[in-house]
Amino acid sequence: MTSGLNNIVFLCVALLTTVPCLVVVFSRNILYSAFALFFTFLGTSGLYFFLDAEFLAITQVVVYIGGVSVLLLFAILLTKNVDAIRKTNMMSGGRMALVAAAAIVLLGSFGYALKSAVWVHSGSSAYPATTINGLGDLLMSKYLMPFEIISVLLLAVLIGSLVIARRSVK
Amino acid sequence: MDLTGIPSYLGISFILFLAGLMTVVSKRNIIGIFMGVELILNSAALNFAAFSRLTAGNLEGQMVSLFVIVLAAAEAAIALALLLAIYKRYRDIDADNLTTLKL
Repeated sequence: MTSGLNNIVFLCVALLTTVPCLVVVFSRNILYSAFALFFTFLGTSGLYFFLDAEFLAITQVVVYIGGVSVLLLFAILLTKNVDAIRKTNMMSGGRMALVAAAAIVLLGSFGYALKSAVWVHSGSSAYPATTINGLGDLLMSKYLMPFEIISVLLLAVLIGSLVIARRSVK
Repeated sequence: MDLTGIPSYLGISFILFLAGLMTVVSKRNIIGIFMGVELILNSAALNFAAFSRLTAGNLEGQMVSLFVIVLAAAEAAIALALLLAIYKRYRDIDADNLTTLKL
């Protein structure tokens, strides 16, 4: 009973993640692609909840939906004239055929790998009930150096993007 | 039958990766290409989180996902700043038309 409900909700979240992807690929209107990407990010956040990764899910919502989607919409606003919005996201047909062939090859290898794989399950007993405490401990002990490096990187990105995008005074 | 096993997550992130690959290769608008890169990074982070929960059973994979998300945000900021600079210089963001560096 509970398992059935779980499956139905998981299926809904999976569809929310994967169906907008196709809109991102095949839409000719870049605004539609941007809003479809928004739903994909929301669905991925739901999948993180299914994986008991609450902190990751919240980070996904804050960073992707609050940051990246809004940045994308601003970029669309600032770069293209809105009159021609219906054909702002055109595809090149020849390269599409090429990548479709590559996709078929990848699909075959994925199916083969999935069929021949043996999954090692450690069991959920070792997994902590709340992940935030463990993540904080790891961040301050084993991953301290990457944490510091990434904070310096974020500072560099902050200054660099300001310098690159500033309006030059004529 | 339980759908929430590792093959479902791998399938979802495979679909995300394929969509991202197709977008990156086939789109002509730079913003469209950038959306594809975001999809690919998202699928990688989802894979790390899925293996962390369902096979490894510890938090190391989630840590990597966290770093991937932060790097994706940094990449987004820089890419869009570059995009604005390109647009100001050439008045065009079609990747097929920006051929100044080509021989």
